[in-house]
Amino acid sequence: MSAPTIPVPGEGRELRSSRGRLRQTLSKAPIYVLLSLGAAFALIPFVWMVSTALKTPGQLFKFPPEWIPNPVAWTNFAEAWTALPFGAMVLNSVFVTTLAMVGELCSAAIVAYGFARFQFRFRNALFLLMLSTMMLPWVVTLIPSFLIWKQAGLINTFDPLTVGALFAWGPFYIFLLRQFFLGVSRDIEEAAIIDGANALQVLWYVMLPLVRPVLLAVAVLSFQGNWNNFRGALIYLQEPLTRFTLPLGLQFFQATLSAGEAPRWHLMMAMSSLMVIPVMILFFLAQRQFIEGIQLGGVKG
Amino acid sequence: MIQWYAETLLRYGVVAAAIVGVMLLTYRGLRAAGVRREAATGFTLILPWFLGFLIWNLFPLAASLYLSLTNYNILQTPEWVGLANYQKLIGEDQQFWASLRLTLAYAALTVPLGLALSLLAATLLNQGVRGVGVWRTVYYLPAVLPAFVTALLWRLMLLPTQSGLVNTATEPIWSLFGDKGPRWFLDPNTVLWGFVIMSFWGVFGANTVIMLAGLKNIPKDLYDAAEVDGAGLAAKFRHITIPQLTPTLFYLLIMGIIAGVQIFDQGLFVRVPRENFLNVYLYTQGFTFFNMGYASAIGWLMLVIILVMTLAVFRSSQAWVYYEGDVRR
Amino acid sequence: MNTRSMRLAGLTAAMSLLITACGAAESTPSGSASSPSGSAPPTGQAPAEKVTFRLTTWAGEGEAAELQELVLDKINASQDEFEIIHEAAPADYYTKLQTALAGGTGADFMWLSQEYVAGYASRGALLDLTEPLAGIDSAVANVDRYFPDVMQTALYQDRVYGLPWISQPIVLYYNPELFDAAGIAYPDATWDWDTFAETAEALTKDTDGDGTPDQYGFSANGWPPVHMFIWQAGGEVITPDLKSSPIDSPEAIAGAEFYKRLIFNAACCPTEDTIAEQGFSEMFKAGTVAMFMGGASDTFESADGEALDIRAAVVPMGPESRTTFAWTGSTVVNATVENPELAVKALVALTEGIQRWKIVSPNMDLATADVILASFPEKWQAQKSQQVDAILEATKDMRSFNVIPRQQEWDDLFWREFQDLLYHDQGTASDLAAAARANLEALLP
Repeated sequence: MSAPTIPVPGEGRELRSSRGRLRQTLSKAPIYVLLSLGAAFALIPFVWMVSTALKTPGQLFKFPPEWIPNPVAWTNFAEAWTALPFGAMVLNSVFVTTLAMVGELCSAAIVAYGFARFQFRFRNALFLLMLSTMMLPWVVTLIPSFLIWKQAGLINTFDPLTVGALFAWGPFYIFLLRQFFLGVSRDIEEAAIIDGANALQVLWYVMLPLVRPVLLAVAVLSFQGNWNNFRGALIYLQEPLTRFTLPLGLQFFQATLSAGEAPRWHLMMAMSSLMVIPVMILFFLAQRQFIEGIQLGGVKG
Repeated sequence: MIQWYAETLLRYGVVAAAIVGVMLLTYRGLRAAGVRREAATGFTLILPWFLGFLIWNLFPLAASLYLSLTNYNILQTPEWVGLANYQKLIGEDQQFWASLRLTLAYAALTVPLGLALSLLAATLLNQGVRGVGVWRTVYYLPAVLPAFVTALLWRLMLLPTQSGLVNTATEPIWSLFGDKGPRWFLDPNTVLWGFVIMSFWGVFGANTVIMLAGLKNIPKDLYDAAEVDGAGLAAKFRHITIPQLTPTLFYLLIMGIIAGVQIFDQGLFVRVPRENFLNVYLYTQGFTFFNMGYASAIGWLMLVIILVMTLAVFRSSQAWVYYEGDVRR
Repeated sequence: MNTRSMRLAGLTAAMSLLITACGAAESTPSGSASSPSGSAPPTGQAPAEKVTFRLTTWAGEGEAAELQELVLDKINASQDEFEIIHEAAPADYYTKLQTALAGGTGADFMWLSQEYVAGYASRGALLDLTEPLAGIDSAVANVDRYFPDVMQTALYQDRVYGLPWISQPIVLYYNPELFDAAGIAYPDATWDWDTFAETAEALTKDTDGDGTPDQYGFSANGWPPVHMFIWQAGGEVITPDLKSSPIDSPEAIAGAEFYKRLIFNAACCPTEDTIAEQGFSEMFKAGTVAMFMGGASDTFESADGEALDIRAAVVPMGPESRTTFAWTGSTVVNATVENPELAVKALVALTEGIQRWKIVSPNMDLATADVILASFPEKWQAQKSQQVDAILEATKDMRSFNVIPRQQEWDDLFWREFQDLLYHDQGTASDLAAAARANLEALLP
């Protein structure tokens, strides 16, 4: 049993002695309380979603609302799954998300590095230009964008949902990575350059490892964004149903405009519950990397 | 199905190779033209975005600007009207102004509040609590739920009747005023507050994850050194955490403004009694009323507004944002 | 490592790939593998290809499956000339539709609800069907065999632009148990506005003594449309010649004021808050509301999924008439369709199929009790049999809106500057109507 290490705020180091551990846990009691409050809050919609997923259509809008349906309709999951070609849709979603994610990550890292570490003419103006592309509402650019893809003859393919990612279509991520790159001290970088590394090597071997937390954040967000992308799929995919991605398929359970048709909420929630799982798994895996944080030493002179 | 994947994969690979090719070409061309190494490298590195801009953004930007100067009903060719749309918007359109006020008020309230809440949540999730992985995953869960799930839930929670959780839980406060509590989304005067409360939901999501990444990026030895100097929690927070966090805060602030002013989905799911958000108004004008030219004008006004706000934040950033890597201007 | 030659090689490779990329992109066909819409097969090919027509609708999962099974499969199997494929857009329907039309990838057949046909027709997006239909010998193609007040929603400037496939008249559904418990006679054809309002009030009770009613006689929240009551009083919101919006006429005011007497009025109907809480139609199904005005194809089931005992009667008689509102939608044809003659033929077949599937058919020949009942699954037979007489009776008095090209803006204004204010006690019907009329008429063609 070695000497207890000094607890540092913001780190996950636990005391080695069991009595010290208990003390530390108690001293964190207020944190646990706050965390629990927030977590309860966070879980409510999920519980509601799963609860709705297990209801029969008649129970859906019962008032007062029931949290635990009785009887529990487990068959909803099977029914939802077979109502539409969800097997195909899952594969499509995986395909589109993987391609888009890889494209986004790679291109965003490269472009962010360019904006962060290199001085060139018009750099700031271009950066601002890049930000401006996020400021024009999607409604206004939808039709012109559609026309571009139409010209390329790529309507009703997966290209509009994937190929654009190679061009770093998310200033969102470029901006974020740029911020973190700017926060990296120049010392290591300059050492690597003196050693003869070119820009891409510096990026890969030096910069990226130093901003690992945000890389993982970007990975999770990128996955989530593409996995749940509904509007793109709606506009660019026409038919057949087996071409659709999950979020689009989900919309089929909505109310239709024809009067008299009730929304099939229970099936929609069943599929939504399933759709959530991959993202949560990815998140759980990624955030584990947040435990260590960045490496000690060598960062500041 | 395999055929669809193969086709897209092929084009994807080809485009990736093409981008690399253009980058190589550009670099060599710039260097040959005498551009110094740093500038050539920098520009080459941002080329993927720049190419994308030329292909995917330039035309829509230009086209939407052009359309804003026309009457365009989507189904027929646009008809030039010059600045008429803008004049009507600014001079006569009451709904536009009401919508603008609502949207700006929303952004002004939710952006700072959201930042504060995200910081609080991220700090909590950064403490060495047991099972922190599970806590974080639970906190992230709302962000991945479909938007209509949370919208529906909020509609229920903010009901002005007994079954509305919020009003029931805060009943003691309202009864002090002899009131039954605000009617939230059913009352035009309290709609904004309903949306503000709904925006707290955003704490469970991207902002907190990013804030957490920012916290994780602060070198431990800074804290260690401060500890040795005898600094307490508050001092560490003020002198280490916050300054180190400013690049992240800067990002979240700007993104918050950009996203906040363009709020859309929430405005659709809730049946809003009177004016709705700008982006929803724009959508209605464009796709429901066949006034896409007018909608484009609204869009460009929005862009200008957001740009002005963003520039202001950029200007101010020199005073409060601290980059470890010393940004050379 | 000869970086230079490597780079050169990479460059050449990239350039050639770039060129092939452009070529590949342009030659890749868009859409499905079948031949481009509406085009005739090139002469000289041995087996004649079926022409493919694309139909886009807003049908959700259940409806889309029915459409495919009950309508499209049969049509496609029964002849060799054409094939109709279905492209569903179950959310943001009009956004997707307009984007596709703007981009030139619009489908050949489209569903439009009644408020849109004039708008699309006046903007040149639709094919004029008047001549082609006249050349087809079928009841479905015969414009005169449709209920005239429903057919007119598919007309624009007296030319036919679509074929309606449904007309859902509103009937008065009621819960016989609540009537029995109160000892009140069921609604029938003798009812007028006063009887209706008084009965609604009589059926609104506070059964548990807490000061708020637990049972209501009727429920309204903007549905049913106030237009219905204005028509019943002899007024118009948009005149048939589309030249004026006399919403401040005494008749129109009478209709609006009657509606105001009902909506959100706790003496007979649930308040806005209660409806937000318990759901509009859900309250009726839960047995908390005694009467409900709904479309002919509405079905009502209990929380356990059982079909409820709900009956129907015609809506109460207004001062001038018993006019009831009919929701209707039409299938229209894209103006750019290739092979228009065959397209119209396919449209007729499609419409007939849908008219047999949806009730009530807007075609008088198909608006019979048999067809109506046949379109419901077994579960609803008992419920619908009780209602079918009232439904058929209602078709005699049904009509739809008079639609203008800028209908959506008109509707939005009518709600914002008149209805919304009126129902929330922000003015009297006469004042509000007088104030709103000018703006409304500015939108008329």
